[in-house]
Amino acid sequence: MPEMGALLLVTQTSTAPGELLNLALNAGAVAPEGCVLIAMLGTLLVDLIGEQTAARWAPPICYLGLGSALILLALQWDAPLEPSFLGAFLADKLAIAFRAVVALSTLLSLLISWRYAKQSGSPAGEYAAILLAATLGAMLLCGATDLVSVFVSLETLSVASYLLSGYMKTDARSSEAALKYLLVGSAAAAVFLYGASLLYGISGTTSLASIGISLSNSPTPLAALALVFILSTVAFKIAAVPFHQWTPDVYEGSPTPVVAFLSVGSKAAGFALALRLLVGCFGAFDTQWKLLFTVLAILSMTLGNVVALAQTSMKRMLAYSSIGQAGFVMIGLVCGTEDGFAAMVLYMAAYLFMNLGAFACVILFSIRTGSDRISDYAGLYQKDPLITLGLSLCLLSLGGIPPMIGFFGKIYLFFAGWADHQYLLVVVGLITSVISIYYYISVIKMMVVKEPKEASEVVKTYPPIQWSNVGMPSLRFALLGCVVFTAIGGILSNPLFQWANNTVIGTPLLQQAIAMSNHQSLG
Amino acid sequence: MTIATSTELICFLVLSTVIVLGSLGVVLLENIVYSAFMLGGVFMAVAGLYLLLNASFVAAAQVLVYVGAVNVLIIFAIMLVNKREELKPIKGLRLRRIVSGAVCIGLLVLLVRVAIITPWPLPGPIAIGEEATARIGEHLFTDYLLPFELASVLLLMAMIGAIVLARRDVYDSELLAGDDMKEGLIEQTPTPLLVDKSSP
Repeated sequence: MPEMGALLLVTQTSTAPGELLNLALNAGAVAPEGCVLIAMLGTLLVDLIGEQTAARWAPPICYLGLGSALILLALQWDAPLEPSFLGAFLADKLAIAFRAVVALSTLLSLLISWRYAKQSGSPAGEYAAILLAATLGAMLLCGATDLVSVFVSLETLSVASYLLSGYMKTDARSSEAALKYLLVGSAAAAVFLYGASLLYGISGTTSLASIGISLSNSPTPLAALALVFILSTVAFKIAAVPFHQWTPDVYEGSPTPVVAFLSVGSKAAGFALALRLLVGCFGAFDTQWKLLFTVLAILSMTLGNVVALAQTSMKRMLAYSSIGQAGFVMIGLVCGTEDGFAAMVLYMAAYLFMNLGAFACVILFSIRTGSDRISDYAGLYQKDPLITLGLSLCLLSLGGIPPMIGFFGKIYLFFAGWADHQYLLVVVGLITSVISIYYYISVIKMMVVKEPKEASEVVKTYPPIQWSNVGMPSLRFALLGCVVFTAIGGILSNPLFQWANNTVIGTPLLQQAIAMSNHQSLG
Repeated sequence: MTIATSTELICFLVLSTVIVLGSLGVVLLENIVYSAFMLGGVFMAVAGLYLLLNASFVAAAQVLVYVGAVNVLIIFAIMLVNKREELKPIKGLRLRRIVSGAVCIGLLVLLVRVAIITPWPLPGPIAIGEEATARIGEHLFTDYLLPFELASVLLLMAMIGAIVLARRDVYDSELLAGDDMKEGLIEQTPTPLLVDKSSP
């Protein structure tokens, strides 16, 4: 039905001049982003005064902005659902949940980064401002329902990430990481833009919902081409194999707090984008994109977890493990059932705490010793029990050992996959989980089992533990918070399950997709 | 055929010829400076096509962004890295050219085929011509307000980031201490946090 698009176009443009100006924008939905923006501007302003002032005032301003953003998000939870900016943004429960994950990941990465920035001699004020800009982009990306806003927020997130990964100018590896990320990311953005322009050409509108309607009315081969383009960009953002090549180098070269943000915040935004675009827009190409994502998930789980075995650098190992973890989350996406989506949301929330906890320990170790090689962790329990305990708990949780929170997240994902007859995915997931437990445990073994005389040189000359330096108390707070949540969250996971289920129930977009797939399986 | 349509046809033919020949020149010419200027010509001709389509705003944006910014930037880049260097001849160049030409022609055929078999929503809405700029402004401040405002954040952040990456780090403490600073030595070299222990 080609007339459909033309009809839409005509109705869109036939509004009288000036009529658009009288419609309500409902801009209150982006109030949390407003807080982040004000915090960003405040950070920039105090940074103008001077180095000392910025170091003193930037942290409280950031905490205030992100904290009030989180409170506003909580208040939005029960608010009636209305599209804002005439359909450019939708603050449904899915958006609120993912925006909360993004904001929380920024807050935790900021908490662990002050000491690191101070010690590596990079200015903290601009760092916080750029990180807040990335957060702004990622949060808007979670709720964007229009191709133009999707693209602009995606670019805000990406450009800020390039800048952050090259932030340590004196380190050649950081510059290399930034350059690689920039080149690959720009190519991905161009591909996305091409796909988006094809979609606009087919349907004559930039609103994702209208594009979805027009695609289901007239599925053309061109739409399949657009699907491939858009899917490759999404896969780049969530670092799915074979679009993962940038990940290890960028993770190794970038400053570690930035990696913490990239591995959680940026990835959560990528998954929200995947849900919006694939579930909301390509509902007509359900079987095609699910098949493609099955392949991506199997490749990610296998390659991510197998290659992680051979790594000697802690950051590289966590990079490959994050590729594998993204593969697990994709199982929920492929299911397309209520349990599948809820498991995705739950696992992202669990992943936030366990991964950031692991990164906090890695950063603390590198602040004290200046190393991130796995072999340098040998015998650490003698000198620093806190890092040993925290890292062990977080890694066990990432591997999926009960009673940590990661176990419940993973079991829910596999359960949802099994219930939806995705046997291949679940079996691959189980096998690669076992592989992942091996390399996580080998780090723990390195720290705990080695005798004092077998300890590495770095550990033998370990500095005395002190928490009084600038930025250390916040690092300790973040570390303890993440570790406690990872350990206790598993036992008290019932509210989390309910939260994830409510997210899915309160999101019309996902409910439609679930209803459609139920209808298909019955008919 | 009225005089208006024939003028339009002639303009279209001239512009298309310029675009096709110019793009071939960009790819095939040996001297990169000529290629860069050819690219500027192609951008201008594309802007002319937009004018023919009654899209004056897009044409103006094309001239400002592509000719004014992108192309000038390319020429700057060429000027900054103006190094004469004898490159080694690549083996099997003819074969490579044939293969890449075949790939490009294949892509072109694919795109043309898809463009022909796709049922485009034609005829589209009637062009509003001169009103377009006003209408675009209206849209920018209503349904595209969010991306429009976000773009300003993006630009602000990109500017700050560029300054951060490009500047030399001088700290207040050094200025206050009155250390002797030579112009060339201002660059700070703090030791990297992560020491690479693998290399002795």
